[in-house]
Amino acid sequence: MSKQENGHKEIDQFVERILSKKSNRRKFLKNTVQAAAVGGAITMPGSAEAGLMGENSLLKWKEFFKKNYRLMSQEEKDSTVSRLEQIAKERYGVDVQMSNKGPEEHVLYGYAFNISRCEGFMDCVSACVKENNLDRKSHTQYIRIFELEHGQMSVESGNGKFFHEVPEEGHFYMGVQCFHCENAPCIKACPTKATWIEKDGIVVVDYDWCIGCRYCLAACPYWGRRFNWEDPYIPKDEITTKQHYLGNRIRPKGKMEKCTFCIQRSREGKLTACADACPTGSRVFGNLLDPESEIRFVLKNKKVFRMKEELHTDPKYWYFID
Amino acid sequence: MKKKSAYILTCLALVFFIMLTYGCNEKSGHHSVAETIKAASTAHVPSQKLEASIATPEDIVLAKMEYQGGYFWVNKRKSKISRFQCSNCHKDKKVQIRDANQVAHGEISLNHGEGNRQLSCDTCHKMDERDYLVSEEGKKIDFDHSYQLCGICHFRQKKDWIGGAHGKRVTYWAGKRVIKSCTECHSPHSPRFSKRWPKTYSRPLE
Repeated sequence: MSKQENGHKEIDQFVERILSKKSNRRKFLKNTVQAAAVGGAITMPGSAEAGLMGENSLLKWKEFFKKNYRLMSQEEKDSTVSRLEQIAKERYGVDVQMSNKGPEEHVLYGYAFNISRCEGFMDCVSACVKENNLDRKSHTQYIRIFELEHGQMSVESGNGKFFHEVPEEGHFYMGVQCFHCENAPCIKACPTKATWIEKDGIVVVDYDWCIGCRYCLAACPYWGRRFNWEDPYIPKDEITTKQHYLGNRIRPKGKMEKCTFCIQRSREGKLTACADACPTGSRVFGNLLDPESEIRFVLKNKKVFRMKEELHTDPKYWYFID
Repeated sequence: MKKKSAYILTCLALVFFIMLTYGCNEKSGHHSVAETIKAASTAHVPSQKLEASIATPEDIVLAKMEYQGGYFWVNKRKSKISRFQCSNCHKDKKVQIRDANQVAHGEISLNHGEGNRQLSCDTCHKMDERDYLVSEEGKKIDFDHSYQLCGICHFRQKKDWIGGAHGKRVTYWAGKRVIKSCTECHSPHSPRFSKRWPKTYSRPLE
């Protein structure tokens, strides 16, 4: 009895060590090579490793060797999602429902922001932080609201750190987040193809395929991306448990993340958290391919512009005035 | 001499070839948003496709208006007015209650309209028709459809609200179009938003 169980334990510890958060791919390879030299106790995934490892290590092992999300079959997607649910349960002690719902047909998401209505209350920012399980310690936010003087047109001259009673006389407010460009520079910059544009127009990141090189952050002309410097801290009772693989699941340290148009909400037909929270109705979200949608009305009837149009990034995020 | 010109020619050909392949890539790889929208509007796009997965909202009422050729709904108002119906108290006699100012409408402070165009109670409410709003021209308007009254003065906002550029939808972008009525965001007695502190703040980016 004890011999086999001891073997389990050793292998569990070994897997735990090499897959621990301090590890990375380079160290991992080193360790694997060492292990192979010692006696090759670990076999590659897909073979009969189940007999050798405990349940938890096996989960993490399989997670580590999964494919890029885009290459997965539906079964593989389902199983990675259920593995991640179990890991989240172990790690954060919450019951997570993770979805891998794909894009709907005939849907292309678009967003419009009314710069003459926004009053800088920042309800959107706080709703976004909560919905998307953003790290509270580093104060990460996907949305920035800039306070600009009337007559100014460039966000660079705006104040992104205002904290006083709003709206301030003679000023207007402009929200900036990921614009989900159709011709996105961040996607082109990614060396591991960990970020791409989905059929419904959402630019997503496979957090488990991202190596954290931050090329995309440098490539984005709109300051749309954020980097996880730390293991995220979220109070347990504030974790949003309805999650999506490509959306608000809790990102590991060292990964890029950004606004996903709340993919876990929008693919269920809901408004993004920011649009839902806005008390002034400055945020319009909808289907660009539906001629009856609000976003199409705005594009057709309002004066609209996009930020840095001259870069030909083709964002699906318009600003408009009343 | 011959060698040199051949060299230049090869270089030129190479540059031309690279430009050609690059151009092809651009063309085949990328469709702009405008192109995608145009291509879609020629085909029939089933609107409100996700309807089945969405819980039907309660307490809504079909708006007495159309938008872009379709119907829409607004949240009901009457069920949220705590002392509706008004005629429960306001009958043919004058209402006599002790401390009426506290128990009745004392909390309302009217701040609607600017300068010499301040509205008064009887701009919208009339003594002889308590359960309805009444417009200046004498038209009875249901509390659930108060947008009809607001829209008489704020006709520009009404047009935007019907289309979707003013106001907002309730929770869902898909399915039945249910939108907030004017009075859900604006207090009808003091419609302008007041100044307040923002909910949070931002730190400078790294």
